[in-house]
Amino acid sequence: MKISKEMRNLMIAGGLIGIIAVVLVLLGNPKNMGFCIACFIRDIAGGIKLHTAAPVRYVRPEIIGLVLGSFLISLATKEFNARGGSSPMLRFCIGVMVMIGCLAFLGCPFRMVLRLSAGDLNALIGLLGFAAGIGCGSFFLAKGFSLGRSHRQAPLEGAAISIVNVILLLLVLIAPALFAFSESGPGSMHAPLVISLCAGLIVGVLAQRTRMCMAGGFRDLYLLKDGTLITGFIALFICALIMNLITGNFKLGFTSQPVAHSAHLWNFLGMFVCGLGCTMLGGCPLRQLILAGEGNSDSAITVLGLLTGAAISHNFGLAGSADSVVEGVYKVGGISTKGKVAVIACIVILLAIACVKTFANKKEK
Amino acid sequence: MEDKGNKVMVATFANHYGAMLFRKTVGAGCTLRPVPRYLSSSCGTCAVFNGPFLKEYVNENLEAVYEEKDGRYEMIYEN
Repeated sequence: MKISKEMRNLMIAGGLIGIIAVVLVLLGNPKNMGFCIACFIRDIAGGIKLHTAAPVRYVRPEIIGLVLGSFLISLATKEFNARGGSSPMLRFCIGVMVMIGCLAFLGCPFRMVLRLSAGDLNALIGLLGFAAGIGCGSFFLAKGFSLGRSHRQAPLEGAAISIVNVILLLLVLIAPALFAFSESGPGSMHAPLVISLCAGLIVGVLAQRTRMCMAGGFRDLYLLKDGTLITGFIALFICALIMNLITGNFKLGFTSQPVAHSAHLWNFLGMFVCGLGCTMLGGCPLRQLILAGEGNSDSAITVLGLLTGAAISHNFGLAGSADSVVEGVYKVGGISTKGKVAVIACIVILLAIACVKTFANKKEK
Repeated sequence: MEDKGNKVMVATFANHYGAMLFRKTVGAGCTLRPVPRYLSSSCGTCAVFNGPFLKEYVNENLEAVYEEKDGRYEMIYEN
């Protein structure tokens, strides 16, 4: 097989990102959560008091770094391009639903790969759901689904989310008392701020240069029979797996996995929602952050949708809870009845949007 | 719009739908592929076809058309 320059760059970037993710865990981030876009945005939602779930409140510098890394490198390479106006409200709503799906599973596609690299087989069920969701989304793309085209906007519009992130970082440094921080649980576990920020910046730069995207990888496989984009995540998986084996973090199985549950149906359906929503949006949560940094205000709106979705998930008790051991008895976690209804509702609503935007396009044509 | 003969050309789009419509209009000889990184930071779909590039090919989701010249791509149309 011929390895193109693009594929080689993706492999290098994916490998580096996998190593950085495991190092972040060694430095304090929760296990199998060196990076998780969904969990970290959820922590930020708690940190800025959009929800009150005590264990998951922290302004994660990695997210700020990702946006600013993409922003700075796109300015340096003259790729910063303020664009937007492609169904912003629908993108916001889809962002909300993607986050509900991710938090039912307890992780975004990025963390799904990291969990898998640490031997968490629940993530394999999630991966099947994710692939099925992207398959479904790709079906609609092939039938003509589109959220409409974006248009040039004023540079300030494209830079707004990066400016907001700079302000957020400054406030965290100058006035941390404004924010809520977890005293226990995943939100209390974190690498030192400067290291987290630098890790975010590096991954932001790498992801912008290589266009790494988990959802895009599967979509290209399905629609164009091209495996270039997915090689980044394969390299990420392999490097994180090696790092986990070296550091003793690898534990194969379904039970007692860190911040994970073994309610298989809901792991599958949660990631199905994520895969379908991400395909409709044109990229996974990581990609949305990178595009937002590059000046895409549609992606910035999507990120706000993800943030709102995190608050909704926790305020209304929709998010998954991890498996636990109570008085010596292993208790399978999963999601509440409300959470199950929400996941099913998200699938129905996403399919309805996909149908409307597919057949309306055909009618216009 | 310039006639560029039978040169290899690449069209980029705002979305996959635009690329599909374009392929339908151009017909045989037009293939859809991922957009090469050197053309765009977006990870969408592009259409590769043999010139000439005609006005009838344009749809509202077309972003740009590039022509290959000595292994490099030069933008010849922007929508």
